[in-house]
Amino acid sequence: MAAPDLALLLAALAMLALRGAGLLVAGALRPEHPFIAWATAVSQATLAAFVALAVLAPVGILATVPLPARLAGLAAGLLGFALLRGRLLPALGLGLGALVAVRLALGG
Amino acid sequence: MSRLPPPSRSHRRGVAEALGAPAIAMGVTFLAFGAAVREAGLALPWALGASLLVYGMAGQLVLLQFAAPGAAHGGVVPAVLGATAANARFLPMAVALAPWLGGAGWRRWLALPFIAITPWAAAMRRLPFLPAAERLPWFLGFALASWLIAGAATAAGHLLAPHLDPAARAALLFANPLYFALLMAGDLRLPPARRAILAGVLAAPAALVLPAAWSLLGAGLLGGTAAFLIGRRRGGA
Repeated sequence: MAAPDLALLLAALAMLALRGAGLLVAGALRPEHPFIAWATAVSQATLAAFVALAVLAPVGILATVPLPARLAGLAAGLLGFALLRGRLLPALGLGLGALVAVRLALGG
Repeated sequence: MSRLPPPSRSHRRGVAEALGAPAIAMGVTFLAFGAAVREAGLALPWALGASLLVYGMAGQLVLLQFAAPGAAHGGVVPAVLGATAANARFLPMAVALAPWLGGAGWRRWLALPFIAITPWAAAMRRLPFLPAAERLPWFLGFALASWLIAGAATAAGHLLAPHLDPAARAALLFANPLYFALLMAGDLRLPPARRAILAGVLAAPAALVLPAAWSLLGAGLLGGTAAFLIGRRRGGA
C-alpha cells in the first residue's frame, strides 16, 4: 500500500475511534450532566478558537489573503447577519463578497 | 406519543435544513479541498476517502500536507498523528452530542461516521427543541445530506482544479470559518455558549505557541474549561 493511502486508512480509523469514544462514554448520561456541560464548552471554545485563528493567523492558502480583507469579510458577514435578522446565506455571501472586494482593492 | 410525526418526516426536515447555508458553507470548503488534493498530485479516490472518512477539514488539511507525495516533512506517522490531533475535537463533540441521540440504546451508533463540526453545530442548536423521538432521525437526515454534499463538492473540486486560481480557492476556504462565526453570533444570547465562545477567542493566542497539530484542541481545552468553571461558580452562587 502506498504511503498516502496507508496514512489515509490509519487516519480514518483514528477518527472512528475519537467519535466512537465520545458516543461510548456519554451515551448513557443526561444532557445536564456536568461532564456533558464541560465537553460542550470545550467544543464551543475550540470552534471559536478555530474561527479566531482562521481570521487573525491563518495557515496555508488562506494566509495569502491580506488581514484587512479577512477582517472586512468577517465584519461584513456579521453586520449582514445582524441587519438581516439572522439569515445565514445572504450574510455568508456579503462576507465573502467583502473579502474579495477588499482583496482586489488592495491589489492582491 | 401518537402526536409525534413519524421518523421519516423528521429525516426529511433534517435533510431540508442541511440544504441551505450549511450546504453552501461546507460545499465550497470541500470544493477547495478537492482542488488542493489534485494540485498535490493525489487521485480522486484519495480525495473522496479523506473527505468522507476523515470528514473534518482541519484534519484533512494536515493529512494532505504531510501525506502528499514530495511533502517536505512527510511520512505516514506525522500525517496520522497530526490529522488525529487536529480533529481531536471530535471526542468532546461526540460526548456533547451523545445524550441528544437517544440515550443508551444502540441506535445512536448510526450517527458515528457523521460527527463533524457542521452537523454538530446544527444539532446542538436544534435537537434540544425537538421531541426526543425526532432527534436521531433529524440528525441522520441532516448529517447524511451534509456528508453527501461534502463528497460531491470534493469530487467537483478535484475535477475543476485547473480552473480555480489560488485567490478563488482562498476565498472559498474562508466560507467555512465565516459560517461558524455567524452560527456563533446567533448563539451569543445564551449565557453558557457566550462564555465558551468568548473564552475560546481569548484562548486562541495560546494556540500560536503550541505545536501546530495540537493548537486548536489546546486552546479549546483552556478556554472551554475556564468557561465551564466560571459558569459553575455563577450557577452555584
